[in-house]
Amino acid sequence: MIAVTEAINTAIIGKGLMIGGGFIGPGIGIGLIGGNYLQAVGRNPEAAKFLGQALIFVAIVELFGLLAFASIFIVK
Amino acid sequence: MIVKLFASSGPSVQVASQQVFTFHGVGITNSELYGWGVILVVICLLIWAARKTKIMPGKGFVGLIEEGVSFVMQMVENAFSRPEVGRKYVPFFVTLFFFILFNNWSELMPVIGQAFNHGGTPLFRPWTADLNATFAMGIVTMGLVYYASVKESGGLKIYLRHFFVGSPKNPLYFVIGLLEMFTDLTRVISLSLRLYLNITIGMIVIDVFGYLGHYIAPVSALPFFLIEIFIGALQAYIFTILSVMYLAVAVNHAHDHNDLSHEEYLTEDKVPETIGAESGSLSTGNA
Repeated sequence: MIAVTEAINTAIIGKGLMIGGGFIGPGIGIGLIGGNYLQAVGRNPEAAKFLGQALIFVAIVELFGLLAFASIFIVK
Repeated sequence: MIVKLFASSGPSVQVASQQVFTFHGVGITNSELYGWGVILVVICLLIWAARKTKIMPGKGFVGLIEEGVSFVMQMVENAFSRPEVGRKYVPFFVTLFFFILFNNWSELMPVIGQAFNHGGTPLFRPWTADLNATFAMGIVTMGLVYYASVKESGGLKIYLRHFFVGSPKNPLYFVIGLLEMFTDLTRVISLSLRLYLNITIGMIVIDVFGYLGHYIAPVSALPFFLIEIFIGALQAYIFTILSVMYLAVAVNHAHDHNDLSHEEYLTEDKVPETIGAESGSLSTGNA
């Protein structure tokens, strides 16, 4: 058995997991919004002018990814 | 004040504003200092643009400001089912839009960061990259929204009524209505956090990629710089349109319900229906 003499800085691992896991949800969500928007435009091209409303939902989804990003700074 | 040309010890990451000096016992933070500067510039620029405005569309900077004003005006008028009600609130939203826009873009000025510092703390920090500032903005906006929606719906009771899907005497609808009210209060937090986090993280990302590039920092940070120009405008748009939507939904809802005969709507022996099913005039698609 090899004794682990060096202390491992688990905060780094935690930060990596936080940012990696935190961006999964918003990634899927933004993908769904964009895909569904394009599908809607493909079916009904007059709907293309509602791009602004799609952007609102992107901003709402994106907030949760940003929260994950911001919380890595409070882990020491 | 020391001017450093090259960052030597990693990117400078600050998530909160720091106190630069005290003025008569009141601590002045770097975001306040820069924020007041930007406010002065915005006031001067907009007054100058307002003086220059004529009936013919302007050119250059004045034309851009006019485009922005008419853009926000269109946005407000599309959101309200009765545009003449919304037109009263256009000045507030136009001010909000330009104020956030210029504060967001002030993040991209070269004075931001460690280069200009006062005893180690950066002297300038964008005003919207401070949670206190955006929280204050959220409180003011939602305060106006609540005040205006109570006023437009014609009384506190009618305004509170719109949170309940069915009759408030039904326990289930009562609890759902209370939850709706609570959800309403979280809007301040979500509005302010979204703006603050977007701008702060944009700053950090530019810092990090400038540090990674080292000697070619201008090249490596350029894509993120361009993204930040876009995100600054997008966040100003989103803050404005979300507050317009919050106001418009409450006001439109009150108008729709004033048209219905209230007494019939409140009776308990009828099976409570959903809003869409009973009011034939469901507010169809704003914008």
